[in-house]
Amino acid sequence: MTPLQSSALERRFRVSGHPQLLISVLDVGLACCALEVGAAITAGLLVLEEPEHSAVLEPRMNVLLISGTVTDALAPGIIRAWEALDEPRVAVSFGACANTGGPYWDAPTVTKGIDQLIPMSVYIPGCPPRPEALIAGLARLAGVGDAG
Amino acid sequence: MTPPLDLAVEPGDWLRSVVALRDEGCEVFDFLTAVDRGQVIEVVVRVMNPATKAATMVWTTVPADAAELASLSEHYLGATWCERETAEMFGVRFMGLADQRPLLLRATLGRPPMLKESALVARAVREWPGAAQATDDGRQGGNPSRRRQLPPGVPDDFLRPDRSSLDQSAGTT
Amino acid sequence: MIPTEAHGTIALQPSACTSCMICVRECPTWCIELESHTEQVSEPDARRPKTVNILDAFRIDFGLCMYCGICVDLCPFDALAWSPEHDLAATTAGGLVLGIDELSRAWPNRNPTSGS
Repeated sequence: MTPLQSSALERRFRVSGHPQLLISVLDVGLACCALEVGAAITAGLLVLEEPEHSAVLEPRMNVLLISGTVTDALAPGIIRAWEALDEPRVAVSFGACANTGGPYWDAPTVTKGIDQLIPMSVYIPGCPPRPEALIAGLARLAGVGDAG
Repeated sequence: MTPPLDLAVEPGDWLRSVVALRDEGCEVFDFLTAVDRGQVIEVVVRVMNPATKAATMVWTTVPADAAELASLSEHYLGATWCERETAEMFGVRFMGLADQRPLLLRATLGRPPMLKESALVARAVREWPGAAQATDDGRQGGNPSRRRQLPPGVPDDFLRPDRSSLDQSAGTT
Repeated sequence: MIPTEAHGTIALQPSACTSCMICVRECPTWCIELESHTEQVSEPDARRPKTVNILDAFRIDFGLCMYCGICVDLCPFDALAWSPEHDLAATTAGGLVLGIDELSRAWPNRNPTSGS
């Protein structure tokens, strides 16, 4: 699989309160949850590294952040994005839709949890979760990275 | 002339009626969807005049067992998406629709899911937590209701043969 | 700063719960499970022992929960409440299922001066 070409992956974020965490985020924003990811950035909870620093900083990990509703029709795209993501990589499920299907748990079109498709490192509950919940969830990655 | 807010037409007049509205200025396609009325399926399209903001909903009715209608997709580009959706969700065939690929559903699924007879499989196969016999067994004046053991949205007999005899009197549609 | 009335999660006051099952049956995502049994309690003045419901288990699957708050609104005994607690991420899907202990720990302490 060819590496994923995305300018988003050239940016490095620090997670507020967790200086050891340096991440690149591929945000698959599929529904309202995506707004909370943006809110985490504007609230200063996810801090973008200065570009001149960012270029030389190695990402500690690439994060595939699924924030929103995944339909079965869209599932192959999620799998492709995951497979194309460079190591070290982790997948984070943000919100009820990504976790289990959430409000759409009984819909015939919605995937009942993206952990059916790719391995998840962290599940963040909420509908949508608060921006602070995103930070608390990303903080769990500190342990994941050390183990992996 | 202001077009009517609602217009009911025969299925045979569907294409002609909508195209006539477009020619009068209703050039914006808003949406197209359907309603399951049992024996018949209602199809509705909403088109709008961008200059006057006047919008018209055109309704027609097709038999549920032979749901066919002329496609509007050659006259409104946006209609393709909605017709593909209405085709897979309600089983309406749109004659002349060039793109017949399914939109959201996997091709192998059975009945169109938006028809009222189609039960939500996820609700039928999962055990309803509310079915647990709580201790509200009538001691506080309430009447124990066996009906409650069935979740909302699932017909009595759907994939639950063991429960089909629970409450015949209540019945379902 | 997260306001104390924020809808971070839903908390349970087990002593207030009568196991009436209303929350379980009204939940649109079927994310609440409740187990209970009855016990006979003798009271000095009463002619017959009273039957009371004893709550054995109460679980909310926050993986499924859509935070609609119907359970909070409908609970006749205010045994459920919104809590600003939000640090509930888990590394497994099962880790999002919270039981009585976790749900009561999240119970909001909105008025610290009034004691427990």
